Amino acid sequence: MSEQTKPKTAKRDPLFRRKTAIGYKTEEKTVMRGYNLSELAEAGYSFCDAMFVLFQGRIPTEPEEKMLKYEMGEFMEHSMSPSAASAISVIAGRPNLPAAVAAAVMTFGGAHGPGAAHGYMMNKYLDRALAEGKTVEEIAKELVDDYMDNNQPVMGMGQPQHRDGDPRAEPTHVKQEELNIDGIYLRLQRSIEKYFHARRKKEGRSYVPVNCVGAGNTALCDIGFAPNAAWCIGSVVRGYSCAAHAVYTLKKGRAWAASRNEPMVQMLDLSMIKYVGPEDREVPKQGERQEYAKKQKESGEYKKWVI
Amino acid sequence: MGDLNQKNIGNLDSPKLPYDYLTREYGTVPLDKNRPPFQWVSEVAYKNIHRIVARGYDTTELVEEGYGLVDLLFVDFQARIPTEEEEQMLNYIMILSLEDGLSLPAVLARTVAKSKTHLTQACGASILAFGHAYGGYAAFGNRMAQYLERAKAEHKPLSGAAEELVRAHHRDEALGVSDLMLKDPAAKRMIARAEKLGVAGENVAFMKEVVEAAKRLSTSEVDLDMLGATASVMMDLGFTPEAMWTIIAITRSFGAGAHFIEEVEREGFTRLGETLTPPEDYDGPADRSVPPIEERDKHAQPAQAKSLEEWKENFEKRKKLPASGFAIVEEIEDPRNPKKAH
Repeated sequence: MSEQTKPKTAKRDPLFRRKTAIGYKTEEKTVMRGYNLSELAEAGYSFCDAMFVLFQGRIPTEPEEKMLKYEMGEFMEHSMSPSAASAISVIAGRPNLPAAVAAAVMTFGGAHGPGAAHGYMMNKYLDRALAEGKTVEEIAKELVDDYMDNNQPVMGMGQPQHRDGDPRAEPTHVKQEELNIDGIYLRLQRSIEKYFHARRKKEGRSYVPVNCVGAGNTALCDIGFAPNAAWCIGSVVRGYSCAAHAVYTLKKGRAWAASRNEPMVQMLDLSMIKYVGPEDREVPKQGERQEYAKKQKESGEYKKWVI
Repeated sequence: MGDLNQKNIGNLDSPKLPYDYLTREYGTVPLDKNRPPFQWVSEVAYKNIHRIVARGYDTTELVEEGYGLVDLLFVDFQARIPTEEEEQMLNYIMILSLEDGLSLPAVLARTVAKSKTHLTQACGASILAFGHAYGGYAAFGNRMAQYLERAKAEHKPLSGAAEELVRAHHRDEALGVSDLMLKDPAAKRMIARAEKLGVAGENVAFMKEVVEAAKRLSTSEVDLDMLGATASVMMDLGFTPEAMWTIIAITRSFGAGAHFIEEVEREGFTRLGETLTPPEDYDGPADRSVPPIEERDKHAQPAQAKSLEEWKENFEKRKKLPASGFAIVEEIEDPRNPKKAH
C-alpha cells in the first residue's frame, strides 16, 4: 500500500486557548471535572449522572439522578411545538440534518421553555426574602402581586395547548416529593401557585395551571442546577425529539413542502398565505419617485405597517 | 390602487419573455377545496390537551414507570422499548459523547457566547459543528450499510468487503479508523462493553474487519477511533445513520452549554468592531489606492467568458484568490424525490 493511502494525520493543536474548569483532552484520555469519561461510563454511571458532573462537578445522589432521568424523559418529546415546527420547516429545504436540529434548539427563548428566566425569577425573590426577613410564602405572594399588578404573566403558569393542565407538570411536583428532594424551590413554587390561583379566583378569572417550566425547572433548581444549566438541559433535550421529527420528514415527507401532487394540502402550499398588508398598488416610475416618496412619507399612512 | 396593468416597467413587456407579465393576476391563491387541508402528519408523536404520546406511549406514563431519556430515544427513533442492556449501552455512549474539551462544538458555543446571546443560540451553533469531517456519522453509517449489504448479496466474507471499503475510502475523515486514538483506550473499551452486554452485532463485527484492513493497508499506525466505535455500536443498537448523527450532536450540545456558561463567567463579551486582525496574518493583495470612480472602466475587469478556453483560464486564475470559492468543489444533491425508501 502506497504512502497515499495513509490516513491524514490530524492537526491536534488547540483551536482556541482558554483556561477551563470543565475538562481537558489528551492523546490518552478525555477528562471532565476530574473524571476520566471512559472510566465514568465503565463504572456504570448513567448519562444523567454525567450531567451532574458536567454542570455541578459532583456525583448526584440516587434520588437526584432519578429526578433528572424523569425530567429529561418528560421534556424530550412535545410533538407540535415551535421547536419541532422549526425542525420540520428547516428540513423542507434539505440542508444537513444538524441545521434543522440547531434551529429547533434555538427556538427556546422567552416564551418557549423559558427555563433560565424562571430560575432567575425564583433566585431573585428568594434573595429578597432573605434580605427583607420574609418567609418563602410571604415572598411568593409578593412575586405574584408584582407580576399581576403589572399585567405580566407569572412565569411557570399556563400553557397554550394544555389549557387545563400540562400533563407533565403536576406529576413532576409529586415525583419530587416522592423522591424526598423537595427543597426551597418547590416550597416557593407551590406557594406561587397557591397565591396565583387564589388571586385569579378572587378576580373571577379562569384557572391557569402550572406548566412544565414551573414544575420541571423547580425540580432542576432543587437538584442543584443553575438557571442557565437548567435551561440547557430543558432546551437541548428537546433537540432529540425534534431530530426525530426532522428525520421522519426527511425520509417520508416531501422536500419543499409545497407540492400540489400530494393528496393533502402541504404546509407551504400557496393557498396557505393569507395576506393582510397594503392593497396591491402600482410601482411608481423612477421619474416620479421623489415626489411620490415625499408624499407617501408626509401622509404617514405607511406607519401603521411599520414593524 | 392606480393602474395595476400599466405598461413599460423595465423589461417586463419584452417580447423575449415567454408570457405577458403585466397582465398577470394579483391576489392570493384561494384555499384548495379539492384536497384535505394541511395537517401535521407524524408517525413520531402527537399531543392533545391532556396527553403527549410518542409512538403510541403516553410520555408521562413512561417516565412515571421509570423510563428515562435514553429509553425515550429508542421510542422516538425506533418505536420500541430497548432492552436493559441496550439502554445501558446507549447511556455509556452518551457519557463519552458529552464532552470533548475545547473542540469545535465548544469553540462555536464560546464564540457565540461572546456576542451576548441566549444560551440556546450557542447550543444550537454547537450542533452545527457536526459536519461530515467532525461528525461524519451519516456518511459512516450509510457506507457501512452499503458495503455490508453488498457483501451479503454477493456472499463475500466481511474481511474482503472491509478491504474494499478501506481501499475506496481511506482518505475519508469518517472512516472510523485513524491515528487519533492510539494512546486512548476509550474506543476499544466501548466495543468491549458492547460485546460484554451482548449488544454487539454485525456492524461491530464489520468495523473490526475494517480496522484490521486499514492496519494492513496503511503505512503508518492506525486503530479504531471514537467515530468508528460509537457509530458501529449505535448501528447495532438499531439507530439509523441519520438518527445517530443527530443524537451525538445533541448530546455534545449539553457540554457546549457548559462552555457557553464558562465563557460568559470568565471571559465576558466582545463588542462590534473590537476585534483586530493584525496585518502580519494577512497575505492577500498588497495595500493599493482606490481608483477614482470616473476611471472605473479603466480598472474594471469584466468576468464574462466567451469561449470554454477563456472560461477555464478565468476559473483557474480565480482559484488562486483565497475565499473566492473557486477552489472548492462540492456535490450538493437535489433530494426532491419523494418518500425515498429507507
